[in-house]
Amino acid sequence: MRIKRSNKVIVIITLLLMIGVAWYFFLRPQDKIDFNTQVKPIFNKKCISCHGGVRQKAGFSLLFRTEALAPTESGKPAIIPGNAAGSELIKRITANDPDERMPYKHDPLSKEEISVLKKWINQGAEWGDHWAYVSVKETAVPDAIEEGWNKNGIDNFVLQQLNEIELTHSPQADKNVLLRRASLDLIGIPPSENLSKQFLNDKSDRAYENLIDSLLSNKHFGEKWTSMWLDLARYADTKGYEHDATRKIWRYRDWLINAFNKDMPYHEFLTEQLAGDLMPDADEDKLIATAFHRNSMCNDEGGTDPEEFRTASVIDRVNTTWEALMGTTFACVQCHAHPYDPFKHDEYYKFMAFFNNARDENTEFDYPLLRHFSDSATEKLSELVSWLKINADEKRINEIEKFIKTWQPSYNSVVFDEFVNTELGDGRRVMLRNKSVSRLKNVELSNKNHFIFRYDAFVNNGKLEIHIDKPDGPLLSSIRLDKGKPGLKITGNDFVSPQGVHDLFFTYTTTAALKEKDEDCAMIEWIHFTQKFPGEGKPGYAEMKKRFWDLLQLQMPTTPVMMDNPDDMFRPTNVFERGNWLVKGDEVNADVPKSLNPFPNAAPRNRLGMAMWLTAKENPLTARTMVNRVWEQLFGMGLAETLEDMGTQGIQPVHKDLLDWLSWRFMHENKWSMKKLIRDIMMSATYMQQSNVNELLIEKDPTNKFYARGPRVRLSAEQIRDQSLAVSGLLSNKMFGEPVMPWQPKGIWLSPWNYEDWKISKGEDQYRRAIYTFWKRTAAYPSMLSFDGVAREACQARRIRTNTPLQALVTLNDSVYLEAANYFAIKLLKEDAGNINTILKKAYATAMLHEADEKSLAALNNLYQTALKNYTNNKEETAKLLANNENKKPEAAALTLVVNAIFNLDEFVMKN
Amino acid sequence: MISGEGLGEVKKIITMKDHSKIIKESQEEKNRFFTRRHFLKEASFGFGGLALANLLGGCNFNDSTAASNILFDPANPLLPRSPMFAGKAKSVIYLHMAGAPSQLELFDYKPELMKMDGQDCPQSLLEGKKFAFIRGVPKMLGPQAKFKQHGESGAWISDYLPHLSTIADEVSFLKAVTTDQFNHAPAQLLMHTGSPRLGRPSMGSWVTYGLGTENQNLPGYVVLTSGGRNPDSGKSVWGSGFLPSVYQGVQCRSEGDPVLFIKDPEGMSRNLRKASIDAINKANQQEYEEYNDPEILSRISQYEMAYRMQIAAPETMNINDEPAYIHEMYGTQPGKACFANNVLLARKLVEKGVRFVQLFDWGWDSHGTSEDGSLSCSRCSKIAKQKKNISHVYT
Repeated sequence: MRIKRSNKVIVIITLLLMIGVAWYFFLRPQDKIDFNTQVKPIFNKKCISCHGGVRQKAGFSLLFRTEALAPTESGKPAIIPGNAAGSELIKRITANDPDERMPYKHDPLSKEEISVLKKWINQGAEWGDHWAYVSVKETAVPDAIEEGWNKNGIDNFVLQQLNEIELTHSPQADKNVLLRRASLDLIGIPPSENLSKQFLNDKSDRAYENLIDSLLSNKHFGEKWTSMWLDLARYADTKGYEHDATRKIWRYRDWLINAFNKDMPYHEFLTEQLAGDLMPDADEDKLIATAFHRNSMCNDEGGTDPEEFRTASVIDRVNTTWEALMGTTFACVQCHAHPYDPFKHDEYYKFMAFFNNARDENTEFDYPLLRHFSDSATEKLSELVSWLKINADEKRINEIEKFIKTWQPSYNSVVFDEFVNTELGDGRRVMLRNKSVSRLKNVELSNKNHFIFRYDAFVNNGKLEIHIDKPDGPLLSSIRLDKGKPGLKITGNDFVSPQGVHDLFFTYTTTAALKEKDEDCAMIEWIHFTQKFPGEGKPGYAEMKKRFWDLLQLQMPTTPVMMDNPDDMFRPTNVFERGNWLVKGDEVNADVPKSLNPFPNAAPRNRLGMAMWLTAKENPLTARTMVNRVWEQLFGMGLAETLEDMGTQGIQPVHKDLLDWLSWRFMHENKWSMKKLIRDIMMSATYMQQSNVNELLIEKDPTNKFYARGPRVRLSAEQIRDQSLAVSGLLSNKMFGEPVMPWQPKGIWLSPWNYEDWKISKGEDQYRRAIYTFWKRTAAYPSMLSFDGVAREACQARRIRTNTPLQALVTLNDSVYLEAANYFAIKLLKEDAGNINTILKKAYATAMLHEADEKSLAALNNLYQTALKNYTNNKEETAKLLANNENKKPEAAALTLVVNAIFNLDEFVMKN
Repeated sequence: MISGEGLGEVKKIITMKDHSKIIKESQEEKNRFFTRRHFLKEASFGFGGLALANLLGGCNFNDSTAASNILFDPANPLLPRSPMFAGKAKSVIYLHMAGAPSQLELFDYKPELMKMDGQDCPQSLLEGKKFAFIRGVPKMLGPQAKFKQHGESGAWISDYLPHLSTIADEVSFLKAVTTDQFNHAPAQLLMHTGSPRLGRPSMGSWVTYGLGTENQNLPGYVVLTSGGRNPDSGKSVWGSGFLPSVYQGVQCRSEGDPVLFIKDPEGMSRNLRKASIDAINKANQQEYEEYNDPEILSRISQYEMAYRMQIAAPETMNINDEPAYIHEMYGTQPGKACFANNVLLARKLVEKGVRFVQLFDWGWDSHGTSEDGSLSCSRCSKIAKQKKNISHVYT
C-alpha cells in the first residue's frame, strides 16, 4: 500500500509529537519539589497527628529527617530516598485495603498530593528547614518601582506583590489623616495643637518626615509602646490567684517607658530584661529591668505547695520568653516533642534550666526584692562601703552591699521541709511552737560563722536553737527571742563553722505561759548564712556595724527582681515526664534547641548567656518576631498574622521577603534601633496610603495582606480612653509612678480574703494615661477589658480585636467618657460665643482633625436641637446630667450629649 | 450542672438527665437555624454581608474541617453557629457552690466512712500528702446527714436535699471526677477552665466561641454571683483565656446596673439616647460612604444592638413582675443579690436564648468548726433553702 506524500508528512508529524509527549512525560528533568512549601504542609495536615512529636504510631515520625528515614517498628524504613515505589509510605497512601491505607480512617490523599510525595522521595527525600528557623539572610530589594510612588525598600516589596495580583496601590492619604494616624501610632494620643499647626503649615517636602521625627522624640512615645509591651510581659499590679494582692512592680513599667523613649537598642532592651542582674555593670536600673520575669504570678494561698507554684512561674518564664520574644509556641514541648516544629521534649527542660536556678520561690513577699534606698539612706550606705573598702576585700564588700540591698541570698521559710509539732503557717513561714523542730536541708557552712534571720515573736522568753544533722545533734547556735517591737525584725548570731554541708534542725522552747499547747510563739521568714561583720577592732567598727544593722532593718519600697542562686544553693533541673512536675526524669544542663543557632562560644551557661544567644544576629526568631510585632502595631496585623507562632502551624506571611529584609536591616543597618525600625515603616509610601476600601479591594484582599491600602484599624483600649481625655482637655500629662485608680463602677473588686479596696484617685490622677491604671488580674479595669484588653495572667502575644455592643455601651455610658464630653462641652461654650454651627464644627474638627462633612454636621446639629429642646423644657434632667457642674444651662447639657456622640463615631474609635 | 470545688479528694458534678423533649427541641432548632442560615447566605449583601458570607460559607454541615477553620468572625463574634454534631442541650445553666458543700453529705453515700466515724485517719490516706490547716492525725468524720434512696433509680440522697430528692430521677449524678487540687482557687480554675492555673478559657467561653448565642440583644455568656464575694479564683473562672475577650462571661448584677454601663447617664432619657444613636449612625453611614469599610456597617449594627440590649437586659433581669407563686416557688427576694434571684434569672435568661449562664454562690466552705463553717449544722438550712430553687430551675 502506498502512502500519499501528504499522509507521510502527517505520520511523521504524529510520530514526532508522540516522541515529544513521551519525552515530556518520561524524560524531561523533573521539577524540584520544595519540602517546605509542598511536602511539609501535606505532612502537617494529613500525617503528623499520628506520626509526629506527640504520637509515633508504628514507630514512625515525620518530624525530623533522621526519624523519618529510620527503621520503623516493622524493621524497615518507611521512606527510601530515590525509590518511591519501594517506599512503604507510598504503598500505604495508595493501598486499596482500607485497613492498610493511610491516613487511617480518613479521606485518602489527593492524586496531586500523592504525586508530590512520590516525586519528592524519588528526588532524594530531602528535608528543608522552615523559613523562620533559618537565620535571616540579606535580601535584595525587588526592582518593582513606580515612578513617583516608592519611598523606600518596603514599597518595592509591596509593589511587586501588588503587580502579581493585579492590584494598584491607593493614593497618599490627606495630610490631616496622616497627622492623626502617625500621632496615634507613635504617642497613642492625638497631636498637640502646636504640632498640628506646625505640620499642616509646613509646605516643604520634609513636612511629614519632620512630623515623624518630632513624634518619635516626644516623651509620650514611650507610654504608647510600653502599653504594647505590658501584655507580653503579663504586667499587673497584683500577684494573681486567690488573694490577688497588690504587688509593687510599677518601676518596671517606668523602666520600659524610659527604655523606649531613649531608644535603647532592642538587643540591650532584651538582655537587660532577661539578665540585667547578671550583667557586669548591673546597676539598680538593670535590676529593675529583670522584673520582666517577675511578673509571673504568685500563689500564697494556705495549703498550696510552694514548689508547685515556683515551678509554674519558671515554666511561665520559659513560655513567655519563647512566645513574646521568639514567636514560638514552645509551651507544647512541656509534655512531648513539639507536634509540628523541630523541638524535642528534653530541649524544653534544658532551656528551663536557664530559669530554674533563680532565687524566686513563690513567697508571699515576692522575694527576691530590690530595696529602693532614699537619698539619705544611699548616702549612709556609700559611707559604709567606703569604710569597708579599707577593712574588707572586694568580694566581701560586694556580698555585704548586695545583702543590704536585697537581703539575698537567703533560705526562704518555704524550703524548710520536715516538722515536728509545727508546720509552715500563714504566709508559709516556719511557725515556732513550744518543743517544735523544723528542718532546713543541705546548708553549706564552710567558712561561715554568722547567721542573720528575719523573724517575729509573739511571746517572750523563747529560745531558738540550731542543731547540726539531728534534732539533738551538736548545737550550732542558740538565740533568745522576745516580742520586741511589733512586726518582723532582723537579728543574727555567731557560730563556729563545722565546715561542709549539713542539715540544720531548728528547735524552739519557751517558758512563757501559753494558752494552747500548739500556740504559734514565733516565726522565721528567711535565714542568711555568712561571715561576721568585718573589721573588728578597726576604727569605726562599732558605728559601721550598727549602721549595717540599721540599713538592713530600714523600711523602704521594693521591686521584685530576678537573681540567681549562689553556687552552694544551686538548683538542678530535671525533665518532667509527660510534663508532670512531680515525675522527674533525667537531670539536664542549660542549653538551647539544636535546630536553632548554636549557643555562643564565650557565653556563660546562665540567663546572660541565654540572652546573648537570643539576641545573636544568627538567632532566626528574635528580630523577625519584633519586626512582625512593630508591623502589627502599625498595620493592625503582622506580616505573619500569628505573632505568637511563626512556626509551621502559624499563618505563613505573604511578605516573607519583606519581613526578612526589615529584620536584616533592623539588626545590621539600624543596630537594633526600634525607633529607626518604626520610622522605616512609617516613612514608606505603603504606610502613607489612604485607607479607603472598595469592592475590588474587598474581593481581592479583604484583610489587607497585600497593602493596596493604608491601615484602618480600631484603636486599642488604652488609646480609646486616652484619646477622649486628650481631646476634651482632661488628660493629665503626669508620667510615671504608682498606679492610679480612676473611676470604675462599684463592686468590681470582690476578692475573697483580700481586704484591699478600689479607692478612686484624687485630682489629676483620675485622668492619667490608661497605662497607669491599676491592673488587678482577677478583676481588671472593666471598660478596658471590653475593648479587648487582656487580664495579663499569662503572656498575650496579640489582642484580637472584636466589635460588640458592650463596647458601644462603654463609650456611651461609662462616666469617664461622659465626664470628658461634659468637660469638653463646657470648654467649647466658654471659648466660643459663636453660633452652634461654629461650635459643632470646632468640636468635630478638634476630635477628628478635619472638618465635618455637611451630612454628619447636620445630624449632629439635629441632635443638638432635639437635646436643647428637651433640656430647656426639662430642668430636672438638665440638673442631673450636669450634676458636677456649675453651669446648669440647657445648652451645656445639649452640647455634652453631642460631644458624647462625637466620641462614639466610628471615625473616632478608628485609625483611618 | 451543679458543682463545687470540694476540699476532699473527690469532686462530683450533677448533670441533668437528657430528655427526649430536649432532643426534639434541638432538632427543631437546628432546622430553624439551617433555614435562616441558608436565607442569610443567599441574601448576604449589604450590611455586614461580606463578613457574614465568609462566616456562613465556612459553616457547612458536611464539611467539618471548613467549619472548624472559620469559627470566629470579629465583626459578629456571637452569631449563633450550629454544632458539628447535633447536641441534645441548647443552653447551659451551671451552678457552682463556691467553697463546696461536701458530696459526702449530699449524694455520695459512704457507709464504710460511717463505720469509721470518730476513728483516726488511716496513714494510707495521709502518707506523702500535705493538707492545709490539718495538724497531726485527724479523725474521720462520717456523714452527718441521713441518707435514703429516692426515686425509681434508687439514688442515695441525704436529708440535706429534701427538694432535690423529689426529682431524683431527673438528675444524673456524676461520681467519677477526681482532683489533685485541694485549695479553692486552683480547684475552681480546674473545674471551669480545665487547668488549675490561670490563662485558659472557661467552659462558657468555649461554648459561646463554638456556638455563639441565640439572642443578640443579650450577652451570650452571663455570670451571676451571690454570697457577697467573687469566687476565690476571681473573674478568671469566667475569663476567656487565650480566646478573644468577647467570649468572656459578662457579669450581670442583681444590684446596680444589671450589665456594666448599660444604664444611660442620669439626665438622659430614652428618647434622647435614641436621638443620639440615630445621629451617630447617620454620621457613621457618611463615613461608610467615604471609606466603604464593612467594619463601619457592623459598628452601626452594634450601636443598634446596644440600644436594644439596654431595653432587653434590664427587662430580663427584672424579677419584680413575676407572679407570686414564682416568688414562692424560688424563694426570691427582689432587689437583693441572692442566690434564689439568680436561679430564677438563669431560667429567664436561657428562655430568652442566652447560651450559657454561670452562677456562683459564695460561702459554701464547710471544713471548719465555727458556727457558720461546721459541717454538722449551720449549712443545713442554707442547703435546704437553696436546693429548693435548684430543683425548680431544672424542672
